[in-house]
Amino acid sequence: MTQLNKLIATLLLSSPAMLLAQGFQVNLQGQKQQAMGGAGTALPQDAATVFFNPGAISFLKQNQFTLGVSPTIAKGVFLEDNTNVLSQTKSPVSYPFTYYGAYAINEKLKVGLGAYTPFGSTMKWENGWSGRFALTKLQLFAVFIQPTLSYKINEKWGIGGGFVYATGKVNLQKDLPIIDNSGNYATASLSGNANGFGGNFGIYYKPTEKLSFGLTYRTQVNMKVNSGKATFNVPSSLADQFPNTTFKSSLPLPQVLTLGIAYKATDKLTLAFDANFVGWKAYKKLEFDYKDTTATLQNTISERNYKNTYSFRLGGQYMVTEKFAARLGLSYLITPIQSGYVTPEVPDATRLNFTGGLGYKVNDHFTVDASFTFENLKRSDKNKETNLMGTYKTYIYVPGISVIYNF
Amino acid sequence: MRLSTKSFITVTALGALVACKPKLKEPSPDKGSLDVSRYVSIGNSITSGYADGALYYDGQKVSYAALIAEQFKTIGGGDFKIPYVPQSSAGVALGGGFPPAVTARFSLQYATDCLGATSLMPVALSPTENFSFFGNNIYASQGPFNNMGVPGARSFHVAYKGFGNFFNASTGNYNPFYQRMASNVTSSSILGDAEAQNPTFFSVFIGNNDVLGYALSGGASDSITSYNHFCASIDTIIEHLTKNGAKGVIGNIPDVTTIPHFTTIPYNGLTLTQAQADQLNATTSGIFGFHAGPNAFIIEDASAPVGARPMKADELLLLELPLDSVKCHYMGALTPIPNRYVLTENEIAAIRSATNAFNGKIYLTAKAKGLAFVDVNRFMQNAKAGIVYNGVTVNAEFVKGGAFSLDGIHLNPLGNAMLANEFIKAINLEFGSTIPWVDVTKYRGTIFP
Repeated sequence: MTQLNKLIATLLLSSPAMLLAQGFQVNLQGQKQQAMGGAGTALPQDAATVFFNPGAISFLKQNQFTLGVSPTIAKGVFLEDNTNVLSQTKSPVSYPFTYYGAYAINEKLKVGLGAYTPFGSTMKWENGWSGRFALTKLQLFAVFIQPTLSYKINEKWGIGGGFVYATGKVNLQKDLPIIDNSGNYATASLSGNANGFGGNFGIYYKPTEKLSFGLTYRTQVNMKVNSGKATFNVPSSLADQFPNTTFKSSLPLPQVLTLGIAYKATDKLTLAFDANFVGWKAYKKLEFDYKDTTATLQNTISERNYKNTYSFRLGGQYMVTEKFAARLGLSYLITPIQSGYVTPEVPDATRLNFTGGLGYKVNDHFTVDASFTFENLKRSDKNKETNLMGTYKTYIYVPGISVIYNF
Repeated sequence: MRLSTKSFITVTALGALVACKPKLKEPSPDKGSLDVSRYVSIGNSITSGYADGALYYDGQKVSYAALIAEQFKTIGGGDFKIPYVPQSSAGVALGGGFPPAVTARFSLQYATDCLGATSLMPVALSPTENFSFFGNNIYASQGPFNNMGVPGARSFHVAYKGFGNFFNASTGNYNPFYQRMASNVTSSSILGDAEAQNPTFFSVFIGNNDVLGYALSGGASDSITSYNHFCASIDTIIEHLTKNGAKGVIGNIPDVTTIPHFTTIPYNGLTLTQAQADQLNATTSGIFGFHAGPNAFIIEDASAPVGARPMKADELLLLELPLDSVKCHYMGALTPIPNRYVLTENEIAAIRSATNAFNGKIYLTAKAKGLAFVDVNRFMQNAKAGIVYNGVTVNAEFVKGGAFSLDGIHLNPLGNAMLANEFIKAINLEFGSTIPWVDVTKYRGTIFP
């Protein structure tokens, strides 16, 4: 366990999660599920079920720990309209991680614990890029810690629920269109710790040996920054206009309602399908309220006007041998960002993702799962606030691996 | 475990290196019906890249004409030679006297006023040149010049032969800036030097000084070019430049109220306490009715009963108003502000009516000759209201607005880049080309210490 803790600590330090899937929501909560397009609400296979459906934990056959990581490599490019100016992203590789445990108190009741990174992104653009007065870097990172209880009502029904404590940090940087005598642009950096609370609830229903259903509801979590640090690096003559001060802000992480179906077509082949409703409409605006304002430094309100959206996930798992599983999936994610609101923070787009993965049962105690996800996003827009206009294209590669320990 | 974590991170970092980057194809610029291999720009100080009250190297480098020429290179544009002032120079501008004193460019610095208050303001650097600078002709060593923008040039100067000739000073047809770059100091003209390069494309942005010269004198001296003279001058310029089939672009003249030089100092900037107002009323027998709070400045007006009157809300003060006299010596209260610092209603009306008439001529010429037309006036009106470009808000406010240089008349690099894009848009529209726009964010606004 100390080794596991060390790994968790390492991953936490190497931090930030990466832009993936709708908005800045990251859908990397389990390797088996990732390999199957993100579906798994009705298919309790491992302790990642703590996230996917608290109601189904009680149907897990063994006690289990699992630790996983999904290194995320995102490469983006922006072509400004009417120009021949291309800008590249220089985002670092990020390491969204998962840790889950499930333990049977008795035959009916199980406890679970999850720590995972459902929301987050680091978007960093190359120095001097044409949108630098809109954004140079945005880092969002949230860890959800979720203690969970799951109760098996009978052989067909299970329910469960978890309390979510969310903690994270945000850092937003941009250049200001102010230049000093040596030609350096002024910069603004807003950073702060954020936290919030929520819940994750689920029902699992397995009417036959072959067919199962899952219904989950994850509440909205309002990530609040109460005393963030605003740091301005400006020419000295403007220092009184840009005082280093504190700020308040908040970011809603949306509610998600999911309906899942799993069907065991043959002894070897299992299919799973999830449909998510994502309540992004809550993200109406991004506000920064500064403690000290001046004629130049005013509170800001940036319209976001996200809309509620859906995603659909389909996956299959084929047991090649008793120890060896192959998985494939695809997902279709509809962007919550309306035309006129695409920003270089999250150049999101509706997309079809392809996923695949393998699982290998080493022995009765250990199983290793790996997955790979590829996303290809392209979006053209003119932002209503900044008038930044052009085409964003992003490739996201997510290889992932997890180790399961059964006991 | 530590080792494996490390190697894991190394492996993923390697993966990040080899992973394909997404590609977007830069549009390949189309030249439409254009041949821009030899581009010549004709104009005044704005075209020359004059900024911060002087002509200097860094300003010349980013004149809108130079920026257009840079974009032309994507469709076969050639060299664009500029009569550079040496990079080491603090800039050259003409002051008073004859031969004129040479002044240098402004930079934003702290300065203390007569009340002992220190604040940021444009302060002229010490000149590094004297008037002999202009006598050192650089045509043979560096010419011919593609940028034929000459500070101070008016429409009728463009075709004037001998515009660089000192002996024409008595008739107002001598220009030191042209003297320095002329092919023949005694007898050449801007237009002749342009034509001699057999340009395939030209830009003409001239006429501001035909009204601005008058405006900058506060309407006190100088005069507005007559409509007929202006029209004849424009016709001559365009006929000569188009005679070999060259294509071109022409820009119109911005309204005087879009220029911060005329809009920065408020008409009612005389702020008084009750005691000050009482004292002033006592001294002036109460004829102006001074009161606590903001008061209209008192200006000279020969037609007013006492030869002075309060300024009206739609009248304008020039930026060179001696503020120390205002703050410490009752200028604008006991001493009326001299007419040369004020544009009165009548003067503004004369400027407007000439600007409108000239702009009408420019538009009709563009249409008749198949030139691309740039509505610089509308662009400046938009800038006055505020333009948001890639997250930068730019407006015509002095210093803070971010588009004008420290003289309040000429654009700074960012403003020039935006103006260059207006020209490029007009050219693309008229000639079916797809010349890429300038990336405005690469050009600076105001420099702050």
